[in-house]
Amino acid sequence: MTEEKRVKKPRGVARLIPGKCIACGARCQSACPKDAIEMNEKGEPIILVEKCISCRKCLKVCPADALEIYFTPEERKILAEMEARAKAAAAEAEKMSAEEAALLAKLKEYRGVWVFVEQIAGEPAEVSWELLGVGADLARTLGVELCSVVIGDKVEGLCYESFAYGATKSYLIDDPVFHYYRTEPYYKAICYLVEKYKPEIMLMGATGLGRDLAGAVATKLQTGLTADCTGLAIGENRNLLQTRPAFGGNIMATILTERTRPQMATVRPHVMPMPKKDPSRRGEIVRESVPIREDDIAVKVLEVIDERKAGEVDVAAAEVIVSGGRGMCAKENFSILQELADELGGVVGCSRGAVEAGWMPAERQVGQTGKTVRPKLYIACGISGAIQHLVGMQQSDIIVAINRDRHAPIFEVANYGIVGDVLEVVPALTNRIRELRAKEGTGGHRG
Amino acid sequence: MSSNAIIFAIVFLAAMALFAWSSFRRFRLVALGRPEDRFSDLLKRLGGMLVYAFAQRRVLSRPFGLNHFVLFWCFLILFLANTEFLFGGLFPDYVSLSRLPDGAYHTLAFIFDVVSALALLAVVVAFIRRAAFASPHIGGLSRDAVTILSLVAILMIAFFGLHGGKIALGSEPAAYMPVSGFVAGAFFSGASAGSLAGYINFFWWLHAIVLLGFLNYLPYSKHMHILTAVPNCFFRNLSRVKILPREEFKKGNTFGVGQVNEFTWKGLFDSYSCTECGRCSDACPATFTGKPLDPRLVIHDIKMNLLKNGPLIARKKTPVLPLIGDDKEGSIAEEVLWECTTCGACVEVCPVFIEHFPRIIDMRRYLVEMHAKFPEELLTLFDNMEQRSNPWGIAPAERVKWAVDIEVKPFEADKTEYLFFVGCAGAFDARTRRTTVALAQILEASGVSWGILGRDELCCGDSLRRLGNEFVFDNMARENIKLFADRGIKKVITQCPHCYSTLKNDYRQYGAELEVIHHSELIAHLIQEGRLKLDGAGDLGRVVFHDSCYLGRHNMIYEAPRKVITSATGQEPTEMARHHAKSFCCGAGGGRMWMEEPIGKHINVARVEEALEKDPETICVCCPYCMIMFEDGLKDKGVTEKVKVLDLAEVAARALK
Amino acid sequence: MLVVACVKQVPDTTQVEVDPTTGTLKREGVPFIMNPFDIHALEESLRLKDRYGLRAVVVSMGPPSTEVTLRKALALGADEAVLLSDRAFGGADTLATSLVLAEAIRRLDEREEVAVVVCGRQTIDGDTAQVGPGIATRLGYSQLTLVDRIDEVDLRARKVRARRKVGGWHETVEAPLPAMIAVVREINRPRYPTVPRRLMAEEATIALWNNEVMKLDENKIGLKGSATQVRRIFSPERAKGEILGDGLSNPEEAAHLLIGKLIEKDILYL
Ligand SMILES: Cc1cc2nc3c(=O)[nH]c(=O)nc-3n(C[C@H](O)[C@@H](O)[C@@H](O)COP(=O)(O)OP(=O)(O)OC[C@H]3O[C@@H](n4cnc5c(N)ncnc54)[C@H](O)[C@@H]3O)c2cc1C
Ligand code: SF4
Ligand code: SF4
Ligand code: SF4
Ligand code: SF4
Repeated sequence: MTEEKRVKKPRGVARLIPGKCIACGARCQSACPKDAIEMNEKGEPIILVEKCISCRKCLKVCPADALEIYFTPEERKILAEMEARAKAAAAEAEKMSAEEAALLAKLKEYRGVWVFVEQIAGEPAEVSWELLGVGADLARTLGVELCSVVIGDKVEGLCYESFAYGATKSYLIDDPVFHYYRTEPYYKAICYLVEKYKPEIMLMGATGLGRDLAGAVATKLQTGLTADCTGLAIGENRNLLQTRPAFGGNIMATILTERTRPQMATVRPHVMPMPKKDPSRRGEIVRESVPIREDDIAVKVLEVIDERKAGEVDVAAAEVIVSGGRGMCAKENFSILQELADELGGVVGCSRGAVEAGWMPAERQVGQTGKTVRPKLYIACGISGAIQHLVGMQQSDIIVAINRDRHAPIFEVANYGIVGDVLEVVPALTNRIRELRAKEGTGGHRG
Repeated sequence: MSSNAIIFAIVFLAAMALFAWSSFRRFRLVALGRPEDRFSDLLKRLGGMLVYAFAQRRVLSRPFGLNHFVLFWCFLILFLANTEFLFGGLFPDYVSLSRLPDGAYHTLAFIFDVVSALALLAVVVAFIRRAAFASPHIGGLSRDAVTILSLVAILMIAFFGLHGGKIALGSEPAAYMPVSGFVAGAFFSGASAGSLAGYINFFWWLHAIVLLGFLNYLPYSKHMHILTAVPNCFFRNLSRVKILPREEFKKGNTFGVGQVNEFTWKGLFDSYSCTECGRCSDACPATFTGKPLDPRLVIHDIKMNLLKNGPLIARKKTPVLPLIGDDKEGSIAEEVLWECTTCGACVEVCPVFIEHFPRIIDMRRYLVEMHAKFPEELLTLFDNMEQRSNPWGIAPAERVKWAVDIEVKPFEADKTEYLFFVGCAGAFDARTRRTTVALAQILEASGVSWGILGRDELCCGDSLRRLGNEFVFDNMARENIKLFADRGIKKVITQCPHCYSTLKNDYRQYGAELEVIHHSELIAHLIQEGRLKLDGAGDLGRVVFHDSCYLGRHNMIYEAPRKVITSATGQEPTEMARHHAKSFCCGAGGGRMWMEEPIGKHINVARVEEALEKDPETICVCCPYCMIMFEDGLKDKGVTEKVKVLDLAEVAARALK
Repeated sequence: MLVVACVKQVPDTTQVEVDPTTGTLKREGVPFIMNPFDIHALEESLRLKDRYGLRAVVVSMGPPSTEVTLRKALALGADEAVLLSDRAFGGADTLATSLVLAEAIRRLDEREEVAVVVCGRQTIDGDTAQVGPGIATRLGYSQLTLVDRIDEVDLRARKVRARRKVGGWHETVEAPLPAMIAVVREINRPRYPTVPRRLMAEEATIALWNNEVMKLDENKIGLKGSATQVRRIFSPERAKGEILGDGLSNPEEAAHLLIGKLIEKDILYL
C-alpha cells in the first residue's frame, strides 16, 4: 500500500543511541511537544514512534547527544534526492522571531564582568583574586570592564587590593551591618547592585560562603547559576561557556545561560591560577549603600570559633590525608607522616593494621569498619590496599600510593604510585616541599 | 500396714506431690514457647537417643567422660533398686526383691551392690576432678555440685549401711552382696540384734529421706538434666546445618526473639537440659579469646529468664527482666550477641544437643529487625548489601575484573554445565581474585564446562542472614533464586564455604534445589576421575590445613580438601592441634568479618598461633574469609616472610601439569 | 507543625563508569539511590520530629520511580511523603527545581505550619548545592547552610540555634523560624529502618502532586523554566595508575616527580 502513495518527504523518527543517555533528568521528555517520550526506570527515553513528528527538539536539548533521527534505508534514498531542493529553504529558516529579538535586546542591557570579593573579618579569600585573573580574560574578550564587588565592614582596603589583581572598578558597600556574613543582607546588597548596574557575568568562589550567597542571589534574580566551574570561556552570542564536573566527576558538562543575565558561576579555590599582583594599578571606587538596618535582620551570629587552632582531628572531613599502615614498621615512624601532613595542611590517618599494632588510635582508621573518607588527596604509605581499606578511601580525588611491593593492590586504585621504602620516600617528599617553599618564600598551605 | 509404712506413705506422697508440683511449674513454662515440629522421623530420633543419651557418645569423647558414663548407668540401674526400695517402704509386705526367684534375686542383689560401689567411686572421682582438674568453665566445686555429689554419696553410704546391717542381722544373704558384706564385717560384726535393727532403721530412713530430697532438689538444680537430657537427645535437630526458619514478613508480625517466650518450646527445653559441663565454653572461640560471650551462659541466661519471667508471662503480665540488655543473670548483653561467629563448635560438642548459636541469631534478628540496633560498622554493610548486593559497595561492573588476563565465558542455559559462582570476595578482593583465577585454570585444565554470571552475579547474603538481617536476606535470596531459575542454572561451583552453605542449605528453604559443589569436592572428584593430573607442587614445604567452619562442621566436608593437598604435594597435610569437627574458627564467620573486635585477643591471631605451633611453610585454607583472616594474623605476628597462606585451588593449580 | 525534608533520587554515581574509548557513561545496572547527603537531611528531620514532636514530611521531585526512595524515607520514620512528578517538571535546573519544591512546601504550609525545611548539602549527580538556598530565598525563610549541629529549635520563640561549618570556622547562629537548613554529612549518623516500619511503608500511600495539582506556570518549571542549559558532555581525562620514577633506588627523584604532579594538579600550593 505504501507504493501507491505519492512521494513525501520522509520525516524519520527520533531514536536513542544505546549507551549514550546519562539520565540527565528527562530533558528530552520535557522538550517534546507531542508527549512522544516516556522515561523508563533507568531514566532513559522510550520514543513512541507513532507520536513523534521528528521536530528534533529532543535532539537539541540532549546534553549527551544521545538522540538521533532515524531513517530507514529507503527513506534515506528519497532524502538524498530531496536534499538539493531543501538547501534553499534552509536559509529562510534562519529568520529570527520577534520574541527572540526582544530577548536579545534585553540581554544587551547587561555589560561587564563582576567578581565578588569574599572576606571573613576583613581577611579576603584568595579565590577572589584567582577569579579576577580569569575575569580579566573574559572582560578582554568581551571588551568590557572587570569590576570587583566588595561588601563588608571597614573593607575599603580590599577595593585597592582588587585593583592590584586586575579590577578596574570596584563597587563598595561598607556598613557595620555586614560585619558578619549573613545571607540575607549580603544577597540583598548584591541584588541591589546588579539591578542598578547590570553586569553580564558574575563570578563567586565556590566556598561555603560563596555557594550560600550565589544560590540566593541567582534565585532572587531568576537567573542561571553554574556551580563549581573548572573552565570559563566566551562562546557565540557573548555567552559564557561554563565547564564543570558532574556525576561525581565522571563527566564534564558545558553549561550555558542563554536567556537570562547575569550569567552566574562559582569556581572552586585553586582551580584558576593566581594572577600576578601589581600594587601600582589603580581603579575607580563606586560607593553604594543599601537601606538595611541591623534591626531588620533576624539572623544573629552568636559565636565564631576558629577550629584550625582547636587541634581536633576529623579524618572524615579532612581534605588531605596521609595514611600509614603496617608498612610503617613502628609507632615512631608515624611522626614523618605527621610532618608531611603538616606541610600539606592535612591529617594523619591509618589502616586497620596500624590500629591493631597499637600505633594509632581507632578513630583514625579508614576503611570498611572505620571511616569512609573522600579527601582531595590521599597518600597511602605502607598500606597494601586490602579491600577492607580500599572501600573506605577509593573515592578520594587523587590517590598516591607509596609501597615497597610493586604488586600491592593499592597500586590498582592509585593515580600516582611510588615503589619504594616509605621511610625514605616520605621524608624526601616533605623536604622537597620545604625546599620549594623556601625558594618561593611562601609560608605554605592556606585553606 | 505398719505404722512405719504409714508415716513413710505420708512422707512419700508429700515428696512426690511436691516433686510433681515443682516439675509442673517448670515444664509448663516450656509450653509458653512457640510451636516447632520435633516429632518427625521417630526412628532416627530413637536411634540418636540410644547412641547419644544411653551410649553417651559425645560425653565419652572427652576426659572424665567415662566417669559420667559410669554414673549415668549406675543411675539407670539403681533406678530399679530405688523403685523397689520406695515401693518396699510403702508396701513392705508385698514388694521386696527377695520375693523373686532366688536366681533373679541374687543376681539383682549382686548387681545393685556392685553398681552402688561403682557409683560411690565415680562420685569420689568427680569430687577429685572438680577440686583438682576443673576446666575453667565448669566452676570447680560449685555449691550445686557439692550438694548433688554429697547427696549421691550419702545415698550410697546409706545403701551400704542398710544392707550391711541386714546382712549382719542375717536377713540378707551376704554372699551375693560383696560390698555390703564387707561393710557388715567391718562395722557391724559385734553389734547386738537390737542395735542392728536401730541402725537398719536409721539407714533406711536416711536413704529414704535423701532419695526423696534428691528428687525434689533436681528441678531446682542443673541436675534437672537428669530428667531432660534423654528427651532432649530425642528431640534434637536432625539436620546437620542449623539454619533458622524463614520469617513471614507480614504486617503485625514480630521478628526475632526479644522476649523469652518467643523462642520455640525446644529452645526453652534446651535451656533446662544444660548439664553445665562447660564443653561449649571450652570450644567457643569467643570465650577462648576472652570475650564476654560464653555459650553456656547464654543458655543459662535463657533458663533463668524463663524461670523469672515465665510465670508472669503465663499470667499475661509484663516480664520484669529483659531477655536482651542487662548484664545480670538471666539477661544477655547486646555486645555478647554480636561476638558469635556462628562457628558451630558449641553445638558440635554439646552432649545433649543444645543449639546455642541459633538462639543467638534469633536475638540478633530481634535487635536488627525490630529495633535497628547493631554495632555501628554494620550500617555500611547493610546498606551496601541492599543497594549494591555486595558487602563492600563496589560497582557490579568490577565483578569481572579478575578475568582480565584469561578468557571467561558467560553461563549459557543448556550449553554450560556448571555455573562458577565467583562470590563477592572472589570478584573484588585482590588476594582472593588469585584463587578465582587458579580455580578457573583448574576448570579449564580438566575440561569442565563452566561459565559465570559476570556483573549480574549477586551476593548470596550469608553475612546478612547470620547477622539477623533476615528481611534483606529474604529479598536477596529470592532475587538470586529467580536469577538462577531464569538462567537455567542447576549446578553451581563455589569457592567460598559461605556461598556454598547458603546456596545449598539456606536456599533450600526457598524451594531451590541446586546441586552445589564446593571447589574442594570438585577438585578431589576431578583428580579421582583422572580428569585432573597433578604433578607435585613441591615448593610448599610443610602444609597445615585449616578446616573452615562452614565447610567442615556445618557441611561435613573434611576429607576432600585433604585428599587434594595429598595429591598436589605428595604428602598429607599436617594437622593443627584442633582439626576436623573440633577445628577452631578463623574469626570471620557469622558476619564478624564486618565488625571490629575490640575485646580480648583476636580470634584469627589465636588460630594463627595454633597453626604456627606446627612450624608450617604453607597454611592451606578453603575460604576467602579464612584467607583474609590468616593473612592478617600472619602480618600481626610478623611472619609473612616465612609462612604463606594459599587457597586449596592455588595449591592444586601449582601442581597442574 | 511540620519539618520538611527534601530528598532527591540520584543514580549511584560511584557505580557510574566512563567507557574509556567512547567517553560515554556506562550506566547499565546502575541503581538509583537516595542522594547520600539527603539521608542525613532526612535523619535530621526525624531527630527534630523526635525532639520537638514535629510531623515529618518528606518531599521529592523526580520521575515516578522516585516512589521507591520515598518509601525508604517512610520506612525510616517520615510521617508523610509527597512526590512531585510531572513531565513538565523534567529537565529542571536548580532554579526550576527550587520553584517546584518551594511551591510544594508552601502548599504544605497552608495545611499545617512549616517550622523547618531540611535539605542535604548537595547531590551527587548535579552537585550544585544550590537548591537549598533557592528554596529559602523563594519562601523568605532563614537560610542556614553547612549546618553540622542543630542546637535548639524553640517553637515558642520561633527561633533556631545551629552551628555552621564554614571552612576552618565554626559559627553559631540564631535565626527566626521558619528556616531552611542544609546539613553536612557529619551532622549525624543515619538510622536503619526496622522491619515493621518497612512493611508499613510498603503499603503507605504517597501523595502525588503533578502540575494539575501544583498549577505552576509552564514557563517557569522544567526545561523551559531553567536558566541554564547543559550544552555538551564529555569525559574528563584521568590520570590512573602511573608509577613515578624508581623509588627504590632513587627516592629523591620519585619524590620530586610526585610533588611536581601535585602542583600541576592544583593539589599542592606553595
Ligand atoms: C551534567 C549536569 C550539570 C548540571 N549543572 C547545573 C548547574 O551548573 N546549575 C544548575 O542550576 N543546574 C545544573 N544541573 C541541573 C541540576 O543538577 C538539577 O538536576 C537540579 O534539579 C538539582 O540540582 P542539584 O542536583 O545540583 O541539587 P543540589 O542543589 O546539589 O541539592 C541540594 C539539596 O536540595 C534538595 N534537592 C535537590 N533536588 C531535589 C529534588 N529533585 N527533590 C527534592 N529535593 C531536592 C536536596 O535536599 C539536596 O540535598 C546540571 C545537570 C546535569 C545533568
Ligand atoms: S523529535 Fe520531537 S516529537 Fe519526536 S520525540 Fe523528539 S521532541 Fe518528541
Ligand atoms: S536528554 Fe539525553 S541524556 Fe537526558 S534523558 Fe534524554 S536521552 Fe538521556
Ligand atoms: S557458634 Fe562458635 S562463636 Fe558462637 S557461641 Fe558457638 S562456639 Fe561460640
Ligand atoms: S550447653 Fe551443652 S555443652 Fe554447654 S555447658 Fe550446657 S550441656 Fe555442656
